[in-house]
Amino acid sequence: MTHDQDILTRRRFFREGLWGAGLAGLGAAAGLSIARNNRDNMVWQIDPYKCIACGNCATYCVLEESAVKCVQCYALCGYCDLCTGYLVPEPTALDTSAENQLCPTGAIKRTFVEDPYYEYTIDEPLCNGCGKCVKGCLAFGNGSLYLQVRHDRCVNCNQCAIAAACPSQAFKRVPATQPYLLKTAEH
Amino acid sequence: MTQTTEQTHSHEASAWYRAARNTAVVGAVFSAVFALLLVVNLIGSAVTGPSRENTLAELKLKLQTDPTNEELRAQIRQLDLRIRQDRIWRLDFARRAAFMLLGSVVVLLISGKIASLLEREPPQPQHVPERAETQIREARYARWAVAASLVVLALGMGAVGLSGWVEFAQAEDPGPPFASMEDKRLQWHRFRGLGGAGVSTHTDIPTEWDGPTGAGILWKTPVPMPGRNSPVVWEDRIFLTGADPNERHIYCFDADSGQLLWTGDVPTVPAVAAAELNIMEDTGYAASTVATDGRRVYAIFATGDIAAFDFRGRRLWYKNLGVPDSSYGYASSLDTYEKLVLIQYDQGDGSEGNSKCLALDGLSGRVAWETKRELPNSWASPIVIDVAGQPQLITLADPFVVSYNAADGSELWRAECLGGDVAPSPIYAGGLVLVIEPYAQMVAIQPTGKGNVTETHIAWRMEEGGPDICSPVSDGEYVYLMESEDYLFCCKVADGEVVYEHDLGVSVRASPSIVADKLYILDLDGVMHISQVGPEYKELGKCGLGEECYASPAFADGRIYIRGAENLYGIGTKP
Amino acid sequence: MMRVFSLTVFAAVLLIPSLNAFGELRFPPPEFESGYEFPQTTDPASQSVAYEYLDAAVLVVALLLASYLILKRRSRRAIFGLMIFSLLYFGSWRKGCICPIGAIQNMTLTVFDSGYAIPISAAIFFVAPLVAALFWGRVFCGAVCPLGAIQDAVLIHPIKVPRWLESALRLMAYTYLGAGVLFAATGAAFIICRYDPFIGFFRLSGNWNVLILGTSLLLIGLFVGRPYCRFLCPYGILLRHLSVLSKRRVTITPTECIKCRLCEDACPFGAINEPTEDWPEGEYRIAKKRLAFFLVLLPILVGAAGWAGYALKGPLARMHPSVRAAERVYLEETGQVEGTTDVSDAFRATGRPAEDLYAEAAQLHERFSLGGALLGGFLGLVLGGQFLALSVRRRRTEYEADPASCLACGRCYQYCPKEHERLKRSEKAVAGT
Repeated sequence: MTHDQDILTRRRFFREGLWGAGLAGLGAAAGLSIARNNRDNMVWQIDPYKCIACGNCATYCVLEESAVKCVQCYALCGYCDLCTGYLVPEPTALDTSAENQLCPTGAIKRTFVEDPYYEYTIDEPLCNGCGKCVKGCLAFGNGSLYLQVRHDRCVNCNQCAIAAACPSQAFKRVPATQPYLLKTAEH
Repeated sequence: MTQTTEQTHSHEASAWYRAARNTAVVGAVFSAVFALLLVVNLIGSAVTGPSRENTLAELKLKLQTDPTNEELRAQIRQLDLRIRQDRIWRLDFARRAAFMLLGSVVVLLISGKIASLLEREPPQPQHVPERAETQIREARYARWAVAASLVVLALGMGAVGLSGWVEFAQAEDPGPPFASMEDKRLQWHRFRGLGGAGVSTHTDIPTEWDGPTGAGILWKTPVPMPGRNSPVVWEDRIFLTGADPNERHIYCFDADSGQLLWTGDVPTVPAVAAAELNIMEDTGYAASTVATDGRRVYAIFATGDIAAFDFRGRRLWYKNLGVPDSSYGYASSLDTYEKLVLIQYDQGDGSEGNSKCLALDGLSGRVAWETKRELPNSWASPIVIDVAGQPQLITLADPFVVSYNAADGSELWRAECLGGDVAPSPIYAGGLVLVIEPYAQMVAIQPTGKGNVTETHIAWRMEEGGPDICSPVSDGEYVYLMESEDYLFCCKVADGEVVYEHDLGVSVRASPSIVADKLYILDLDGVMHISQVGPEYKELGKCGLGEECYASPAFADGRIYIRGAENLYGIGTKP
Repeated sequence: MMRVFSLTVFAAVLLIPSLNAFGELRFPPPEFESGYEFPQTTDPASQSVAYEYLDAAVLVVALLLASYLILKRRSRRAIFGLMIFSLLYFGSWRKGCICPIGAIQNMTLTVFDSGYAIPISAAIFFVAPLVAALFWGRVFCGAVCPLGAIQDAVLIHPIKVPRWLESALRLMAYTYLGAGVLFAATGAAFIICRYDPFIGFFRLSGNWNVLILGTSLLLIGLFVGRPYCRFLCPYGILLRHLSVLSKRRVTITPTECIKCRLCEDACPFGAINEPTEDWPEGEYRIAKKRLAFFLVLLPILVGAAGWAGYALKGPLARMHPSVRAAERVYLEETGQVEGTTDVSDAFRATGRPAEDLYAEAAQLHERFSLGGALLGGFLGLVLGGQFLALSVRRRRTEYEADPASCLACGRCYQYCPKEHERLKRSEKAVAGT
């Protein structure tokens, strides 16, 4: 190493200046993020009032088994015998037979409560997020069945592939501490 | 270093090398196998999945036509189970194969790297003759390479630019998504035109035609399904609906040629489709007349189904408001205000609290406002009028005339002056709202009040009777009432004084209209009685169609459109 | 059976008229007599945010460790070990998301969208490797980045990419960076995440595009060293430019270069620069003219490319879902296409007038016209800069690791005889001789 390096050449000054500018720039970036102060991680969720149950949630998720599942808002459910989210549009009978069920994976369980009410629950491991039941419930029922991203399954991609493909842009980022947009009875 | 040591060394080394290389090859083969398995699995699900689902859908369809076939049912259940099991099996298989693939790839990489490391030779730099020239040449190639990438970038940008796009900033501003009241004045956008008045502003209207000979008749087109609703005209299109217990249709005809341009289907909900509703035959399923706001047309039926279509026939939305509990069958027609479609949905006897007026957003079908009322079923149609700049929705039911703000549904005023089965619709003429109590009276109300105006804003009552079906018509000075059988009354709008009473001798169901100083009355046999508007009955002509007519006519420049029981007629001389 | 059925349906029909307002329920919720209680909808929590901070901490520690191993210890084996750890931790365990490359978009969105705030842990991911580059060079690439690690892991038989091709190929990375920033700033899409080639391997699942892209890059990577890092990585562009300014950087020799030429073929990534030779006399005059020509060309390139970017605002804007929706609705409204799509149906269900959507699309067009011009200008500047850089004569007397391109993998150390001397010295020191 020669002592020339100690002499402040124009080039060296320029370089030092740029270095300082680079560090300042990064500092500004860091400062901006601290000023916005988002301590929470952001996760993805579906706004159930925008969702049109198009079926993309089942196919666009990067996981083999979509992280989007149907959920039931029991307080909104009508507990109807003729559930338009459970049964096909023209059922031959109001029962649990395969030919009358709308769900392609048999994920909705129908249990008798008291006359004439039936409880409908979703068996999550079976649900594939296709939204057929949601469409039926929304069109002719109370809209108590709706799709939500399940955060015990979602890997929280920076760009959610389903969000990019959603025709009604129903996906939004929500704080990880409040990761659900659930329907309530006071809708 | 002796040769033998070297040889032994390289022999050992090459043994390790061979071991590493062979392991790498094995790893590669396994990787390829698992990759292939994954691909086959994926292709398998892509191919068999949809075909199996199609088969299932077909079988389900077959079951609907043959519900008692147990064998078919068992087949469906088996296939359904098979599809579900298959799906889960494929997911499991894919997961396992992916892990195995990962494992073999790791083996491949590790052994590959070891083999590569073992094979490495120490560096042996060769003599490079003209380094300067090499460097200059490389720099030159590099510059040309960058130039080539510049060309590629330019070509890429060009290709991207060739795909056209919509220039939104320069798209014409189409104005508000609805027609103004001024536009509506020139059209016939709802039952009896603007304000339900039955008055047309056009002056060139046919006065002579003959159905049987076809004289003066431009065209005649059969309407596929029956309905008592009247034609609605917007520019070059005419809208009608027809329905039977199973289907509800809206028809669009070309005003110049009468050709049926498109048919719109209005679906219903499963529960209503399965139920057996008993609608009175005289009313039918399609008694309500459609309404348009200049961009979309809205139709409602006795099943409670309402739908919106654009002028090209595309259905925008539909919904079911619940089957209306109406003793004669629901018959109130629709009206529009700006982009809202207004519905008077009266039902029952008033005590169940299920009657309401509501406004739906024309673009989406969502409820814009809804006001409940404790009034019984009514068959009059509401009207939207402009009272000193404020839009009022006037509704009739026993016993109240209620006026709402058409924009938000808040109640403005009400007057108690009705009774019985209210069917004639109100009109707004000479600054007064004129309403009819069938068989009893005609009442004139000033629409400028607030709250219950029964004592304060009723201008006059004409208590010599009133029609039970036809709505009145007025030119502002005289108001004409047509009874279902024979009698035509003429009263003064200013004080209700009866000016004359004329026996036409015919049955009439269509409401009368006034055009260009002439009174047009269409009787049940399809004969139009044209007379002079004035304090004396003066007949100007009679024109027959040769077909029964229940619906009220629609008027356009140089044209009259009449719906008979079977056909729609376009009457006029201009092509 | 059918009678029961039709009676039930009839009962349902009777229920319908008793509806309340629309916007409320079609079928009012029942009042149970048997003491049935409504279950609650479950809401399984997502991973605690502490994990994100843990990741950020691991990142910082790994960067510090990497700089120590690369600059001080100079041990390829240790670097390789840290690299494998990073691959397993940031790749397989954390599934490769969020990474600093994607964090460029999050930071951009924070700047341009006041409604979004980058989580602090993600900001650390963006800033920390860049700060490390300012101090120590591209130590992130060498031992911490999982995408780099996976490519490095599959590099079995490196073949050299001709040097003159490298500058041209690198333009893809600049384009990727510019486009990524543009689309993130306008809220259109995160294309860096969308086209992340290796995420499918970290998650062990993915759609076809990602798997094909990733597999092709890895197959290429068997022979061509780190193709994504060198020619595609947008974050690498930022690292390059900061690394040139770094205080300390990778040197092939620990002490001085004796120009033995043994390290010439050491780098699989073509990052070793040879000493330069003097040019023949006539060459300098030509070089001066060439330099002047490119200096004049630079503003022309910037202007032309900027104009082209501005003119392409339509197709660029189409990346934004609202513009796509507006185009579809417009085509349907004007009758140029038949039928509707999910997108146009969903839009109509909202009740917004189409004119609103067109206005939104027109506004986005405006943003993209400015953004497109900037992107074009940026690319013009890069191209012009490359021409200039290739026309300037550099003077080097030693073999050195290119400050911008060196990925700090440590492979070249053992090629240097001086390094072997140093190792022997430290062994003796350890043995206490």
